[in-house]
Amino acid sequence: MTQTLALLHAAYRELNARKLFWVTMALSLLIVGAFAALGINERGLTVLWWEFELEFVNTRFFPREVFYKFLFADLAIPWWLSWLASILALISTASIVPDMVSGGSIDILLSKPIGRTRLFLTRYFTALLFVLVQVTVFTVAAFLVVGIRGGTWEPWFLVAIPLVVIFFSYLYSICALVGLLTRSTIVSLLATMLFWLAIFGVHAAEEITLGGEIAWRMDLELVEKDLAEAVEYGDPIEVTGPLEEVVESTRRSYGTWAAWHRGFYVTKTLLPKTTETVDLIDRTLRQRAGLDVVPPEPEEGRRRGPRSGNIFGTNSRIPQREIEQAQQDTNDARTLAWIIGSSLLFETFVLGLACLIFSRRDF
Amino acid sequence: MVSDTPSIDLRHVAKTYRGGVHALRADSIRVHPGEIYGLLGPNGAGKSTLVKILMTVVRASRVEGSLLGDPIGTKSTLARVGYLPEHHRFPPWLTGRQAIEFSGAMSRVPRRERKRRTADLLEQMRMTDWADSRIGTYSKGMQQRIGLAAALVNDPELVLLDEPTDGVDPVGRREIRDILVEMREAGRSVLVNSHILSELELVCDRVGILVKGSVAMQGTIDELTAESQRYEIRIKGSAPDWIGEHRGTVRPLDGDASLVVVPSADPEALQPVLDRLRADGTVVQSFQPFRESLEDLFLRAVTDPESGRVLGPGGTRGRRSTAPPTAPSGEGDR
Repeated sequence: MTQTLALLHAAYRELNARKLFWVTMALSLLIVGAFAALGINERGLTVLWWEFELEFVNTRFFPREVFYKFLFADLAIPWWLSWLASILALISTASIVPDMVSGGSIDILLSKPIGRTRLFLTRYFTALLFVLVQVTVFTVAAFLVVGIRGGTWEPWFLVAIPLVVIFFSYLYSICALVGLLTRSTIVSLLATMLFWLAIFGVHAAEEITLGGEIAWRMDLELVEKDLAEAVEYGDPIEVTGPLEEVVESTRRSYGTWAAWHRGFYVTKTLLPKTTETVDLIDRTLRQRAGLDVVPPEPEEGRRRGPRSGNIFGTNSRIPQREIEQAQQDTNDARTLAWIIGSSLLFETFVLGLACLIFSRRDF
Repeated sequence: MVSDTPSIDLRHVAKTYRGGVHALRADSIRVHPGEIYGLLGPNGAGKSTLVKILMTVVRASRVEGSLLGDPIGTKSTLARVGYLPEHHRFPPWLTGRQAIEFSGAMSRVPRRERKRRTADLLEQMRMTDWADSRIGTYSKGMQQRIGLAAALVNDPELVLLDEPTDGVDPVGRREIRDILVEMREAGRSVLVNSHILSELELVCDRVGILVKGSVAMQGTIDELTAESQRYEIRIKGSAPDWIGEHRGTVRPLDGDASLVVVPSADPEALQPVLDRLRADGTVVQSFQPFRESLEDLFLRAVTDPESGRVLGPGGTRGRRSTAPPTAPSGEGDR
């Protein structure tokens, strides 16, 4: 315990010396303060004592508590916590492993009565602990703002704390591994950013191909139904023949989209799911805190004909919104085990590899 | 009471890096309690590698032996060992006091004792006035003093110092030597790596010379220089003819006909030569005992006796290393 506390204390001093930890903390509080300064009334938005009359942004459209929940769930979490603050946290903590393994420094640490694996993991979790502090301060402050200004105390907001830390830990495992291999803060930071970009690319590709698969599946159902109706009504071959061709071509397109989606899905299963992990906060708030701000489209909207259309080039009778809803339902059906469990498995693999390298390496 | 168990009992150690570079292949190095052992060798001889293996910083390809009675590599043993690495680097944002306390905490020294020993060591290293300044503002010598204090904060039974006087001014060097002597008097064992042979000669009880990863010489300085111990007689004019025939032992020094060498450390052996010189009417200007310095010894160890060339730096490549030139050993003297 003495050694763990000493490593923790040393890491705190390191972050403290770099100032970025406190800069990030100050920015977090500034953002929460900015949210607190925002208000909404029946005429529009207020910022401190100024009032801006807005036709569609007022309490007649958004109840006060929904407005503040929206600020937190749709702005603060996706833009600040899981994007800008995470980048700042990566910059703050990226040097922890490269500094540890730099010449002259590692000799002192390794010559102490502490196992290499424990030493590495303690440094790793120390970085996560500081991110935990950052996220906790921000989330609790936001919780208080929503409670005091919005008049609603929503404890489910606090689910952001573990989820953002878990999300960060996926990226930090890569940062730590590359930092160990290269002993360079810059390289580890760039590699982590590239990795993040790569998994975001896989995520985007999986989402797009999922949308395509859903769209073409719906289209296939429609054209098969049209064909069945034509056959049932005894339409001549001049009608059913082209319909059969359309069914066949739609089936082929569906097969192609499904195959691509399967490939990306398998790839994504093996990788950490950063977007989905952060989206779990949104999912939790929608399901547990009733934060579904956008009203659902009327049911008859689907049947209005070709007005809506979609981006996948399928039958234009399928509106984009319906595809998105089906996509949302598919995403919501994905289990915690798949989202977090498989991501943690990846992280464990990366950390295991890093520990193995650290344990066997000569310095 | 000083234990009989060697602090370092290295029976065999080998380290081969990728590419087949043999950095180290040494047998039988022993450091006894209450002894200062100097480890010498040219650059790349494997001195630092050997120390790093003992401190688990480098993994040996093969190692047999013990450190403070435990097998080499036992992590818990390191709580009783102090280590000052060469080119050590504490984070520049720590103060000297924080660096020493951190080192103590990592060696599991209880907090109160850590604080007390840190204050004492800062005083001993004459760093109290700078204790709360950041290491980034220190000179090399001050950093070295803090490093030495950090190596001693756990009150170690064995201390391994890799170039402890690197960057330290002459006064500081003298102080470090005094500290080494104090540690020896307190029954601690010290292994010192250094290039500054004159300093080692002043404090070391025994030395080992590593050449190309192998122990070329080992023993007390007296043992290692025994062959070279002699008396030198300076006479006026050239040495008489009988000098070269006197029991086959007395000879004029090569290239200096007025210097007669009696190859013995025993003054009894000198007397008949002096008597005969005086009987011949030869004027004896001076006579004095002579012994190789550690530097002479070192140069002899790193010189190939056949070619007379100084061996180059670094380890050896390939399946077998080049054997070092000579291997007299005083091992077993204790």
